[in-house]
Amino acid sequence: MIQNKKLRTLTSGLLAGGVLVLSITFLLSPKQDFSENENRYLAKFPSFVWEDVKSGQYMEELSSWLSDHFPLRNFFMGLKADTEIALGKKEINNVYIAEDDYLIEVYETPANTDRIADTFHKFYEKTDTSKVDTRLMLVPTANYILANKLPANAPVISQMDTLKTIYDKSGIPAIDCSAYLTQAAASGQIYYYTDHHWTTYGAYQGYLAYCETKGLVPVSLEDMKAQTVTDEFHGTIYSKVNDYSHKADSITIYTNPADSLTVNYTDTEEITDSLYNLDYIGQKDKYSLFLNNLHTLIEITNETAESDRELVLIKDSYANSMVPFLAHHYKKIYVFDTRYYKHGPSSFIEDHPSVTDVLLLYNMNTLDTDSGIRGIY
Amino acid sequence: MVFSSIPFLFFFLPLCLILYYAVPFSLKNGILLVFSLIFYAWGEPVYILLMLFATLVDYTNGLLMERFGNTKAKRTFFLCCSVVVNLSVLAFFKYADFFIININGLLGTDIPPLGLGLPVGISFFTFQTMSYIIDLYRGEVETEHNYFTYLTYVSMFPQLVAGPIVRFQHINAELHHRTLCRSECEAGLLRFMQGLFKKVLIANQVGALWEELRTIEASQISVTMAWIGAACFTLQLYFDFSAYSDMAIGMGHMLGFHFNENFNYPLSSVSVTDFWRRWHISLSTWFRDYVYIPLGGNRRGVVKQLRNMAVVWFLTGLWHGAAWNFVLWGVYYGILLALEKFVWGKGLAKLPKFMQHLYAILIVVFGFVIFTFDDMGALTTYLSSMFGAAGNPSFGTEVFWYLGNYGVILLVACVLAFPVYPWLKAKLSTAGKSTTTTVSVISMLGFVALFLLATAYLVNDTYNPFLYFRF
Repeated sequence: MIQNKKLRTLTSGLLAGGVLVLSITFLLSPKQDFSENENRYLAKFPSFVWEDVKSGQYMEELSSWLSDHFPLRNFFMGLKADTEIALGKKEINNVYIAEDDYLIEVYETPANTDRIADTFHKFYEKTDTSKVDTRLMLVPTANYILANKLPANAPVISQMDTLKTIYDKSGIPAIDCSAYLTQAAASGQIYYYTDHHWTTYGAYQGYLAYCETKGLVPVSLEDMKAQTVTDEFHGTIYSKVNDYSHKADSITIYTNPADSLTVNYTDTEEITDSLYNLDYIGQKDKYSLFLNNLHTLIEITNETAESDRELVLIKDSYANSMVPFLAHHYKKIYVFDTRYYKHGPSSFIEDHPSVTDVLLLYNMNTLDTDSGIRGIY
Repeated sequence: MVFSSIPFLFFFLPLCLILYYAVPFSLKNGILLVFSLIFYAWGEPVYILLMLFATLVDYTNGLLMERFGNTKAKRTFFLCCSVVVNLSVLAFFKYADFFIININGLLGTDIPPLGLGLPVGISFFTFQTMSYIIDLYRGEVETEHNYFTYLTYVSMFPQLVAGPIVRFQHINAELHHRTLCRSECEAGLLRFMQGLFKKVLIANQVGALWEELRTIEASQISVTMAWIGAACFTLQLYFDFSAYSDMAIGMGHMLGFHFNENFNYPLSSVSVTDFWRRWHISLSTWFRDYVYIPLGGNRRGVVKQLRNMAVVWFLTGLWHGAAWNFVLWGVYYGILLALEKFVWGKGLAKLPKFMQHLYAILIVVFGFVIFTFDDMGALTTYLSSMFGAAGNPSFGTEVFWYLGNYGVILLVACVLAFPVYPWLKAKLSTAGKSTTTTVSVISMLGFVALFLLATAYLVNDTYNPFLYFRF
């Protein structure tokens, strides 16, 4: 449509120039190893192996290397997301662009419900119910609790069907926190806008549900010290959408002045007195500040706990922000990450007769793909 | 390597063009050949030998035909040698497993399938090299004495994997002598970019919706949505395939070659006959010139004509893939074309124009549903949801959801499937200078913006499939 000859030359020049500028920038710029935003290692320049050339693997790796290190990668990813949102897209990369600035992950049809229920059931059968009080808490995610914020007509699969099936089949006494969450959602923020976790306020609702079923008196939030440690948290869902203009989250942490804690990260042999590692505030993955990210087994001792009871916590990362509330009630809490813990918490409970309580806590969104569940007994 | 990818667009193509422009003419074919071989080997490092073999066969038979073909019988012999080898290679690599599976099904035997991967572009380059030897036999083209020139023709990367099917006679002269002028290179660059935008910004996006829809259970999708889905696939296929032709033709211009047009707004057809004059033109003319007319075409009575049509459309279907749905798709068109020719063609032409468009588009969309499901079970399932036979409702709220997400892009695709662009161009040719300049400036900005956007989509690259790899 460009009939003016000079403009035609100019356009071709701009396009050809654009291609060359980008490719030359690519060649000259230093290459990063790791993308914080995408939370993954970027492709490395492949080494030349004849076998790989013959199979085509070498060319594939070279292609990924070229795409991964492309200049202005973040700018281009943001450009795509912003364009799609402007064109009316309400679902990008399995994330709903929901109302009130929420990014909410699609809940996909679960594939492992029976296996998971069965694993829980086997675990429960192995514990001596006369000595240990075991509970299972499955936390519904924003996809269910904030369903009224999802875009209109979004096709939603119910988490609650899966949740009920697992509660029934596992046989473990259940703790249903959805009523607390729904109620609190009306007035406060219980999930992060940009991350798949619940906020500490959401975790507190889970804690209230826990206390209710266990007959504990919950510590009120007013008696705890609140501290907003960051307001620049761009969580995991944010990285899936790459809409860089989207607003950031803040993280508030609570500490109970009445507790005197010793936190022992047994795998790295670190001992501290805090349930938080604020070094993570400077990093992309800020949620890791709760319980210092991933550890095989964490031993938390509270000298001033209200009882001598000991809790084994088998969980995913949702529990990390609930532990600060639970800590008040237990002399010891053993926190397991069963993806890395080799022997299974089941045998641990057998070997430690002082354990009185067990809580299994998982969120519904990642439950189906949680690779640690196989390792719980 | 696919055109719409970071490695091709930002590294392979610029490097190739820079070297190509830098060297004297005598070396240009060499540069082109080396890059074409790298291009092919990028995706098919081993099968490149197959392409070298196929071209060598035709090249040698060409030489033999020239040297020893003093009688018609001898010429026919060399032609047959060449054609038999070409078709055998194609049959073996493309159709062997299809044949084995059907034999097994029919006779209850248990022959294990070979499981060979389909060499990229084999259907295209086989037809290209066959056009050379047949034209040579007919005396319509001169013998090529330089194997590397011949190999350059067959392997030329712009049209190697997805057409258009370029005939030797069309570019023979340009293979030996061509001129490069700046304005043609510019036009070629812009044409290439248009193709890139069509592929990345339209075909891939519409295709993403189709990918979502095609796997939904038949009973879970409303009749309306099933038809929108079928329309999506039609648009995806058209924009994908014609985009490749645009990019090929554009790159041809940049290299000094002129390939024939391959698409002429097929979705704006007024009849099935019209559609096949506008869709994949290089393939339908190939079948016309090398199968239909040699069989006698329409000059030996209605019965023979019907037989010839049956043969051509069976083969056209089969060419598209080694599965029964492709054959069915070809036969479907054979029957419809015969009906138009002998039964309702004249009546159709008297209908209001929009009725003719509607008639053609419904047939085309329905046809592509047959085309896309190479699993007969999946095909019947999808067809049943298109006609509400799966107990599915005629309308559901999911229509609002999908149209909300993809409505804009679908609208753009529908508009651009019609010849809006040439229409505007014609309007502009009579417009005043200031209008032309304004439109030119807007177009320029549009090109730059779409280039950035296309790059953004390529960098994301979550969805960049290549539909014509299987041909």
